[in-house]
Amino acid sequence: MKNLSQTSMRRLISVGMLAFLVCLFTILAGYGKGNFFSSANLIEIIRDASIPAIIGVGVTFIIITSGIDLSTGSMMALVGMVMANVYEYTEWPFKVMILLGLLTGLLCGLVNGIIVAKLNVPEFIGTLATMSIYRAMTYIIAIRNENGVIKSQAMNHSQYVWLGTGVGKFYYVIMAMIAFVVIGQIVLRYTRYGTNLYSVGANRKAATLSGINVAKTRMIAYMITGVAVAVGAVFTTARLQSATTAIGTDFEFNPIAAAVVGGVALSGGSGDVIGTLIGALFMATLENGVRKLDMNTSFQYIIKGIIIIAVVIFDATYKSRMERKAREQGAKEGLE
Amino acid sequence: MNKINWSKYSKPIILVCFILILSILRPKAFLSLNNFSNVLWSVSVIGIMVSGTIFVFLMGGIDLSIATLCALTAVVVVEVTHSMGDTPNAVAVGVLAALCTGIVAGLLHGLIITTFHIPAFLVTFATQSIFLGLAMVLTNNKIISCTVPAFTAIGAKKILGFPMPVYFMLIIAIISWFLLRKTVFGRYVYAVGGNPVASEISGINVKRMTIICYILSGLTTALGGIVLASMTQQASSSLGAGYTNDVITAGVIGGVSLLGGEGTVPGAIFGAVLMGLLNNGLNLMSVPSTHAGLVKGLVIIIAVAFDAMQHADQSRKKVKKVKTAKNGE
Repeated sequence: MKNLSQTSMRRLISVGMLAFLVCLFTILAGYGKGNFFSSANLIEIIRDASIPAIIGVGVTFIIITSGIDLSTGSMMALVGMVMANVYEYTEWPFKVMILLGLLTGLLCGLVNGIIVAKLNVPEFIGTLATMSIYRAMTYIIAIRNENGVIKSQAMNHSQYVWLGTGVGKFYYVIMAMIAFVVIGQIVLRYTRYGTNLYSVGANRKAATLSGINVAKTRMIAYMITGVAVAVGAVFTTARLQSATTAIGTDFEFNPIAAAVVGGVALSGGSGDVIGTLIGALFMATLENGVRKLDMNTSFQYIIKGIIIIAVVIFDATYKSRMERKAREQGAKEGLE
Repeated sequence: MNKINWSKYSKPIILVCFILILSILRPKAFLSLNNFSNVLWSVSVIGIMVSGTIFVFLMGGIDLSIATLCALTAVVVVEVTHSMGDTPNAVAVGVLAALCTGIVAGLLHGLIITTFHIPAFLVTFATQSIFLGLAMVLTNNKIISCTVPAFTAIGAKKILGFPMPVYFMLIIAIISWFLLRKTVFGRYVYAVGGNPVASEISGINVKRMTIICYILSGLTTALGGIVLASMTQQASSSLGAGYTNDVITAGVIGGVSLLGGEGTVPGAIFGAVLMGLLNNGLNLMSVPSTHAGLVKGLVIIIAVAFDAMQHADQSRKKVKKVKTAKNGE
């Protein structure tokens, strides 16, 4: 019961942070049409949060196993560029193109998984390396004009651009996000795989001893992330109506930040997808608000970094305090 | 048992092979004096940085903010020089300010990591974004050039035919070699990296050690940033992009274990030289720099995977030894 109250407390804090940010920007940037607090802008925020949230579902799985993935941004660019190649050089239907994109994501995730779980390379080093590998591969397969200069590949066929729109203001990407979050939460809470993820993150040795295939569990988490990244890449290219080599630059920060703000502990074993969703909304609100305030957008990088450090420091101190309390409680009960 | 220990000579052999391959493939371009100084420049920036970050690696930590801290310090030195009126004195103040920025950054890393017990990669991952933002705000997202003679001399002036940065690299490498090999501090660094818990119990102030190591890393990164800015005669928020990977790769090639406790300064400098040659070679083979990441990434993964395998092997052997010893009793 103690644990439950602690996690719901953490949820309350992240919701409170989001609410505080919304109130802050409403006061600073105003409400009503064209301002921060308007239905159009709020939907815009949710739309911006969608892709970090979709990818965040996979990243949450990884972080629950106490891993990390720094390669999501580059992976997104690579998937986009693979699809652009199919778009440019074949007459294949869009379904096949998207399927190939998803397959690329799955493969990238598998590669990350093998490096991390089979070759035992520390997560942040392995995915830092694949981050530059995937980006380089994007440049290698990038589409060039007749002079050999890389160009941004237009992907503006109406049958594909359609994905970037929605039913009125209810964008398809938001629907995809809802689907991802709901399914992700169900997997985490009600399936054996979800339970395995938590066990692996909480105590890897104990998980191994109790018969969980740790390497497989971790690899599947990376593969899920790969697919989520591919879905993100599909919606990004559909919205931009083009694929470039620069897609996803500095993006890897966003899903991790969303998970951290949402209370997914980087030490592993706790947190869930709903938390990451709240975190993604928080980060999108922040970006949007900074834009609406006409602040130099470079400040975003500073604020994001400070928020991550602040939240992680908060979590670390909070956790150690709770542990101390639990220990004292235990000692007391032992005395009685 | 007069077997030659090949692993002892593997580094020079690799180096010679590399140079041979390049001289055969691109004899004219590679063996020119001009290219030689190009290589030296590239080597010296990585060498300067890795001489300081090796302390962090040896402690089992990591610094993902190298590239953006390099950009930030470059921006600081150029901005301060400009605002002080472009005199030689202004350059001196600018250099000092940049070095202080590096020290403060390192101190910040060390304090946050040790006080709150947060993984180093996460802290430096977050500060990487902060430094990038600061550099962008300071430059207003523009490239600022600086052609003050006193400033450009740092990177371009030649003494005895070698550019200044080479001497910087040698001096710093010797200092860190001395610190690691000849002082108690250095012994402690290896001890903490090898087994932090045991070191703590045996009375080493791990917290203070960690902070000092991150400060050293910040300081050399700042120096690298200054040299880089001086060499390119400009500063921008994207200066030094890719150096995080280059420095880590140099360390890993040079036998520095990212798991902590293993590695030497000469090894790291060897790694820097190989990285410089690799960058130069790829350049001469007209492989675009955007593609080089593929090679570097693969090198990191192979080296670290190999290292992890050896670690696993060693601990297995230890267990076996203990078991046989017990059976012997």
